[in-house]
Amino acid sequence: MDARNPILATAPAGSFPPRANRVRPGRRIADKILITASTLATLIGIVVLGSILLMLIVEGIKGFSPMIFTQPTPGPGSEGGGIANAILGSLVLTVIGIVIATPVGVMAGTYLAEYGRNSKLADLIRFLNDILLSAPSILIGLFVYTLMVRPMGTYSGWAGGVALAIIATPVIVRTTEDMLRLVPSQMREAGVALGAPPSHVIKSVTWRAASAGIVTGILLALARIAGETAPLLFTALNNNSWFNANLLGGIPNLPVMIYQFALSPYQNWQSLAWAGALLITVTILALSIVARLVVKDQRAR
Amino acid sequence: MTALTQSIVLAREARPVRKGPSKGLDRAFRAASLGSALLVLLVLAGILGSIVYGGWPAFREFGFGFVTSSAWNIGTEQYGALVAVIGTLASAFLALLIGVPISLGIAIYLTQLCPGWARKPVSMTIELLASVPSIIYGMWGLFIFAPLFARFVQTPVSNVFEGLPIVGSLLYARVPSGVGILTAGIILAIMIVPFVASITRDMLDQIPTVLRESAYGIGCTTWEVVRHVLVPQASVSIIGAIMLGLGRALGETMAVTFVIGNANRLSASIFDPGSTIASRIANEFNEADGMQLNALMALGCLLFVITFIVLIIARLLTRRAKLA
Amino acid sequence: MSPTTSMSGQLAGRNPANESAPVRIAVKDLNFYYGQFHGLKNVNLNFHDRQVTALIGPSGCGKSTLLRTFNRIYSLYPEQRAEGQILLDGQNVLDPKVDLNELRARVGMVFQKPTPFPMSIYDNVAFGLRLYERLPKSELDGRVEDALRKAALWDEVKDKMKQSGTGLSGGQQQRLCIARSVAQRPEVILFDEPTSALDPISTGRIEELIEQLRTEFTIVIVTHNMQQAARISQFTAFMYLGELIEFAPTTKIFMNPDKRQTQDYITGRFG
Repeated sequence: MDARNPILATAPAGSFPPRANRVRPGRRIADKILITASTLATLIGIVVLGSILLMLIVEGIKGFSPMIFTQPTPGPGSEGGGIANAILGSLVLTVIGIVIATPVGVMAGTYLAEYGRNSKLADLIRFLNDILLSAPSILIGLFVYTLMVRPMGTYSGWAGGVALAIIATPVIVRTTEDMLRLVPSQMREAGVALGAPPSHVIKSVTWRAASAGIVTGILLALARIAGETAPLLFTALNNNSWFNANLLGGIPNLPVMIYQFALSPYQNWQSLAWAGALLITVTILALSIVARLVVKDQRAR
Repeated sequence: MTALTQSIVLAREARPVRKGPSKGLDRAFRAASLGSALLVLLVLAGILGSIVYGGWPAFREFGFGFVTSSAWNIGTEQYGALVAVIGTLASAFLALLIGVPISLGIAIYLTQLCPGWARKPVSMTIELLASVPSIIYGMWGLFIFAPLFARFVQTPVSNVFEGLPIVGSLLYARVPSGVGILTAGIILAIMIVPFVASITRDMLDQIPTVLRESAYGIGCTTWEVVRHVLVPQASVSIIGAIMLGLGRALGETMAVTFVIGNANRLSASIFDPGSTIASRIANEFNEADGMQLNALMALGCLLFVITFIVLIIARLLTRRAKLA
Repeated sequence: MSPTTSMSGQLAGRNPANESAPVRIAVKDLNFYYGQFHGLKNVNLNFHDRQVTALIGPSGCGKSTLLRTFNRIYSLYPEQRAEGQILLDGQNVLDPKVDLNELRARVGMVFQKPTPFPMSIYDNVAFGLRLYERLPKSELDGRVEDALRKAALWDEVKDKMKQSGTGLSGGQQQRLCIARSVAQRPEVILFDEPTSALDPISTGRIEELIEQLRTEFTIVIVTHNMQQAARISQFTAFMYLGELIEFAPTTKIFMNPDKRQTQDYITGRFG
């Protein structure tokens, strides 16, 4: 190479003076500062997540025992007990929430992506859905309190489930719409060109093509509502025993249980709160990771 | 061309009788999807309607004074929103002050500096921070962060600045307990970082590589590329992302309730406990009755108005950026 | 060697245009609008039964637009509209009363990029059949096999009918889409640049296939590739700026066109 390229090889170093000295020291310093600062910022993020997990593991393991899965929450100041009622209650509330939110969210997302592409109404709904997506969850609690708890005269699992559904729906609407928009329009045209009515094309072609993405949206919504506390304070409340099969009256649930027990003066309650916190965080992080893997899978294809 | 005169003599060969799928189902499906979409509108209207309805008696009773009064006296039924509003704004402002530089730093690190193999795991870690429930942040803030903060920041800082004008009152803790407006701001900052950082990262990623490479090509340092090429390109959407973070910080409830101290007093010091609209509602709503309930609903109205203005601005900014 | 002479070689010995074949589609005074933009201007044209008609012309000349009016697929987009008449077996398909779904079952379409649905190969082919005909399982199986055979895909997929259609190669996917259309036994099949996303070998197979399908179906194909038009079509329509410049048997268009513009285009002087 060198031999065949004598001009380059023999070019005297002197003809291109080293320009490093042209870079003013100020520029270098600014650059160094930026690099250090942004690396530091990232480290802070990692350290915080690490310390949260560490805290949950250290404190949570202490409170962990097989009993927490079999015993209901104990009375104030008493020993023993578990959080089985809160775990079951949380499951029930989350299931109600997601069962309501999934059909509504998927259908609304479908409207926005398939039917309402050019309509002003769809633009408005899309915009407001984005706002609802980040609306303070405590306001949703107040709304459901006025809508259900007050008229029914009692806190209930139904009210809690509806509040969670309202939080989950915008997440599902948004991901469903985004994922349906990724489906190439030729796919729709091909379905329509075979004589299938639009609803059939949507159900058997577009939904299928976007299915992994839609499932991700549902998982993300699940992760979002599983740890929600604020809206449950005024809707499902909490109680310290098992709950009625009709879900009326206070429904024990993990987030509100954690809130009340963590701030209580009783040692036993506090350690149960930590166990609950560990359980709920691990569940939610696992859900989020699975959701991301599903998306990655989809993209890889 | 013989074409036109030639009539269609072609017999339709033994083609199957086509019987199309039902039209009714098609219409029903469309109606169901429209109905679901309208439900979103309805819920938003319902939220506004219910808190206006619930808060109306308080607004009627106290008038505009509700916003300017710092009273919150359950015994005498005197209620004012000032302390909570200031607490909300102050903690959210502090959250931005601390959280935005960290978020931008993370976004820059991820897009410009991070070695390829570390990008995925680091991104994932930051995004996972967003899915940690807010109540866990509250516990972390109260049990881990607050004691450390009281010992290593509040006490020494109070000792140093005690007696000095302005800083002496702004950064003075009468009782260095670790909880207070600043602690809430710090926890909120951590909570908004993953949102702002990941949106900013996406925006920076969208900037064409050519632009970046040509800037590096003329000898720019990373700082100069970021400062003069990337930030101007993405500034509108970064502001949008920050506003989204602000919206979240304003309405965050559980984490703040744990660490803000829940005191109804106006204090000059950001080390002192205070309360926000959301924390006050969370604390008092279940025991509230009569006018107190109305006053809490009215607080909810104020929160609705503040956050929705912020969120609307945020969405408009991020939307415009997407179109551009 | 000029393109014209190279093509005359390809034209030699191929199936001649049958100008006495009955008219399957008659286009009369067709105008097409994309919002304000006038996409097709007064197009009049006939498509003969069981002949391949190629639509050629430079990008944006309206050839795809014309193709997309035959099954009214454009009506998916509210800002697009067509005026005039398109008679399919004497029935005006632009009539608002026409049942679009049924029309599309009669007029099949194959797109530029292969569009296999995210379902099994079998379900892909049976997609249209299941919509319009309630067939017992055995008969359905037969129709699917028949369609796959006609699309020259049967031997390659007969052992993996349950596998996803998206796992096939590009050329196989396109033949799967052809099978999907053929299964419905349409009267007309529209091809919108069916080989532009394929390699030369897959392209060759699709061209052979179109040649065979011609014995049963009326075929309209849009293509950018003039050699392709010369190889597979009996009639060719040259379009430019939304107008039909010339329509004639393919041999005439390529050997001895009437219009100067046509001559310029096929000899590569513009386009």
